[in-house]
Amino acid sequence: MPVQAPFELEKLSNKEYILNMGPQHPSTHGVLRVVLKLEGELVKDVFPDVGYIHSGVEKLCENRTYPAIVPYLDRLDYLGAVNLEWAYVLAVEKLCGIQVPERAEYIRVILAELNRIMSHLLWYSAFGMDVGALTPIFYAFREREEIIALMEAATGGRLTHNALRIGGFRSDLPKDFLPGLGRFLSSFERKVDEYEALLIDNVILKARTKGVGALDPELAVSYGVTGPSLRGSGPAWDLRRTAPYSVYGKLDFRVPTSEGRDTWSRLKVRMDEMRESAKILRQAAGALPSGEVSAKTPRVLKPAPGEAYSRVESPRGEFGAWVVSDGSERPYRVKFRSPSFSNLSVLREIAVGCNIADIIAIMGSLDLVIPEIDR
Amino acid sequence: MMGYISEIYYGIKSLSAGLGVTLKHCFRKPITLQYPEEKPALPLRARGRLVMPVDPATGANRCTACLLCAKACPNGSIKITKALGDDGKPKPRAAKYLYRSGNCMYCNLCVEACPFAAILMSEEYETATRDRESLNIDLAAENHQLKGSKLSWWLAKFKGEEPA
Amino acid sequence: MLHLLEALLYNPGVPLAGLAAKARALWAARGLPSPVLDLVFQLAIAATVSGFITVNALFIIWFDRKISALMQLRKGPNRVGPFGLLQTLADTLKLLSKEDINPLRIDPLAFWLAPLLVFIPSFAVFLVIPFGNGLIAGDLNIGILYILAISGLSVIGILSAGWGSNNKYSLIGGLRSAAQMVSYEVPMMLAILPVVMLTGSMRMGAIVDAQAGYGWFAFMQPVAFVIFLIAGNAEVNRAPFDLPEAESELVAGFNTEYSAMKFSIFFLAEYTNLFLTSAIAASLFLGGWEGPLLPPVVWFFLKTYFVITLLCWARWTFPRIRVDQLMQFSWKYLLPIALLNLLVSAAAMKLL
Repeated sequence: MPVQAPFELEKLSNKEYILNMGPQHPSTHGVLRVVLKLEGELVKDVFPDVGYIHSGVEKLCENRTYPAIVPYLDRLDYLGAVNLEWAYVLAVEKLCGIQVPERAEYIRVILAELNRIMSHLLWYSAFGMDVGALTPIFYAFREREEIIALMEAATGGRLTHNALRIGGFRSDLPKDFLPGLGRFLSSFERKVDEYEALLIDNVILKARTKGVGALDPELAVSYGVTGPSLRGSGPAWDLRRTAPYSVYGKLDFRVPTSEGRDTWSRLKVRMDEMRESAKILRQAAGALPSGEVSAKTPRVLKPAPGEAYSRVESPRGEFGAWVVSDGSERPYRVKFRSPSFSNLSVLREIAVGCNIADIIAIMGSLDLVIPEIDR
Repeated sequence: MMGYISEIYYGIKSLSAGLGVTLKHCFRKPITLQYPEEKPALPLRARGRLVMPVDPATGANRCTACLLCAKACPNGSIKITKALGDDGKPKPRAAKYLYRSGNCMYCNLCVEACPFAAILMSEEYETATRDRESLNIDLAAENHQLKGSKLSWWLAKFKGEEPA
Repeated sequence: MLHLLEALLYNPGVPLAGLAAKARALWAARGLPSPVLDLVFQLAIAATVSGFITVNALFIIWFDRKISALMQLRKGPNRVGPFGLLQTLADTLKLLSKEDINPLRIDPLAFWLAPLLVFIPSFAVFLVIPFGNGLIAGDLNIGILYILAISGLSVIGILSAGWGSNNKYSLIGGLRSAAQMVSYEVPMMLAILPVVMLTGSMRMGAIVDAQAGYGWFAFMQPVAFVIFLIAGNAEVNRAPFDLPEAESELVAGFNTEYSAMKFSIFFLAEYTNLFLTSAIAASLFLGGWEGPLLPPVVWFFLKTYFVITLLCWARWTFPRIRVDQLMQFSWKYLLPIALLNLLVSAAAMKLL
């Protein structure tokens, strides 16, 4: 049942009309329906209608054993799969009191950061398409393909990696992984500069995004906006730094922020994050200790009754997993806190008064992944 | 007025920077892989459909029908029927290993659950068929033969080591 | 025989005129009414032009796709025919064989006429395009004015497509297109004016003749050339000015509801307009068919395709401009600069 947008249709003036953007629309990136109240091209009101790809993952999890839930996390956010797996795996490890070997922690950092770059590259290309630049996608996908090849060599999956296991990592990195990573990193930052010159610093794009979709930091915090979308408004809130998990505390990196508060500063933050991720990757690959990649875990995992919540910084923001155990081998309840949902909810506040084209740019700058919103 | 001129100047500068990037790429090699003719080289861990390879040493598969894989599968896409001996008692051998690839989400959990490395995710990724029935495969009857580096990788795997 | 061939290549106007005169004499000798022969001539020219439009548009689409592939690290069409040259032909045949869908509650007249209204102006402009030495269907002495007047008409077609489709996306696309075409015609006209002033004629043939011996107006009027390219690109609705279609915003803009034959006519018109804009730019600023050694027709096409390459390059590099900025760009930047350019060149002509 489609939700009726809360616009009073009988009160529409002669100049106003309703436009249904989606659920099938080239720029809603999946099946998001956005109902617009327009006057000419001016947006008077926005109503995002979610739920078209609801798949009941949280309910499904109640019928799966603890280790068998991990691949479902890949399907939520197919761009930041490792990060999402990490949040869930952390929660279960907390619940069972499992200590993860250090090598596994470093491998997790490497995979998660590669995943972050992958996600941002896809965001960059999709954003290019949204604003009508059709070439960036091919350049970004060239680099993305290199990362995917690395990920496939390490985990076997291209998008749905299913990389992490409760207690560590599936099996040690293949021998040619680290040299391959080095080769990729040797030229990556130069490529990012090229991307910036091609799209982000373009005068047309700057004119389209500067001052558009301004998001006040207070408003962002009150809506629970996280990730690059929040950091584009100023607050340096990055869980890798503010609530370090794993070995992020030992790594040296900058949390890119911007004071611009508008769409363009959100773009800029993501571009800078790619560079910072490359920096983290270099450090992690250099500091990778030897040893086991997985802690000893019982074949049938039955955590003691209790609950655990853990959160990680996914490419889109704060992803949380809450796991409740009743002592059986299946969780009693699993709940995910998805960043895209909160990020989308702020759309109504920041998009009113802009143009149809701006709506597309703003949604692009929030970097939404629809399955993660609908879960 | 000065602002107007500098605006035009920076506009032209940034536009020509963009044009320069695309021009530079005109002289780089295309990255296209002409798919049906050219195929990508898959890494050893790549996850295609599930197979139960024949062990060249014994000429039979290594499955003992212990059901661990079926239990590990999140989607219940593996159904195993144990072989019965002449005395009617179950034998440690699968009479039928039904793999419903339509349900499979290629997560590799069954492979990791197997204590005998009897199953493996192969390099076959072109698994589209014209009817649903042919998605259900009896792996025990299939007698899949591994070849090349994947075979040596698999052999090393059930000896307890994992090269590359 | 060889002499005739050489004349046909380098100076086709003379032998063609001779042939026409002979035919006229024969016709008159038999006492037949001459308007009938004129009609036959016109029909022959029209058939040639429409054949040319189709083949040329198919080639430009292929060319555009190859250019984009080159910039995007791809290979582009390479399956049908040598170098994929027949790919567009295959696509067209597929389009023509598709079901022609008429959505519910359309305005039938507007919906059906729109493709024709878009196509006819671009067809008519071919009348004054100087393909070669004397190879021009009708060298009107108001050539430029004719082009500007006729090409302005296609906006009616796009507007009626937007209105007739009974689709909000189409309507927005149609209205955007109307606003865009009206505002960019002004700077375009102002960019052409210096050329007309320098030549002292609006006749296309005279403008090309005035540039003989490398006196290309692109060198004398670089600003006007650039403004003409920008405004021309906006006139043909291509990126970064593809707002009427704006895939990521309006799905497909004014041709959202069009399918099959009607869609292919829109497509044909779009690429024909691209060719025309480039051809006019080549004739006005790059010396048209003038050039050494090679036959004039070859020079004309070389220069035209050079301009097409420039426009494609811009298309595949830049993001789309926003609708209010589109207006701003035209009225705030292009128009004042074009006016200033006109003023300066007029002053320079008076003084020098």
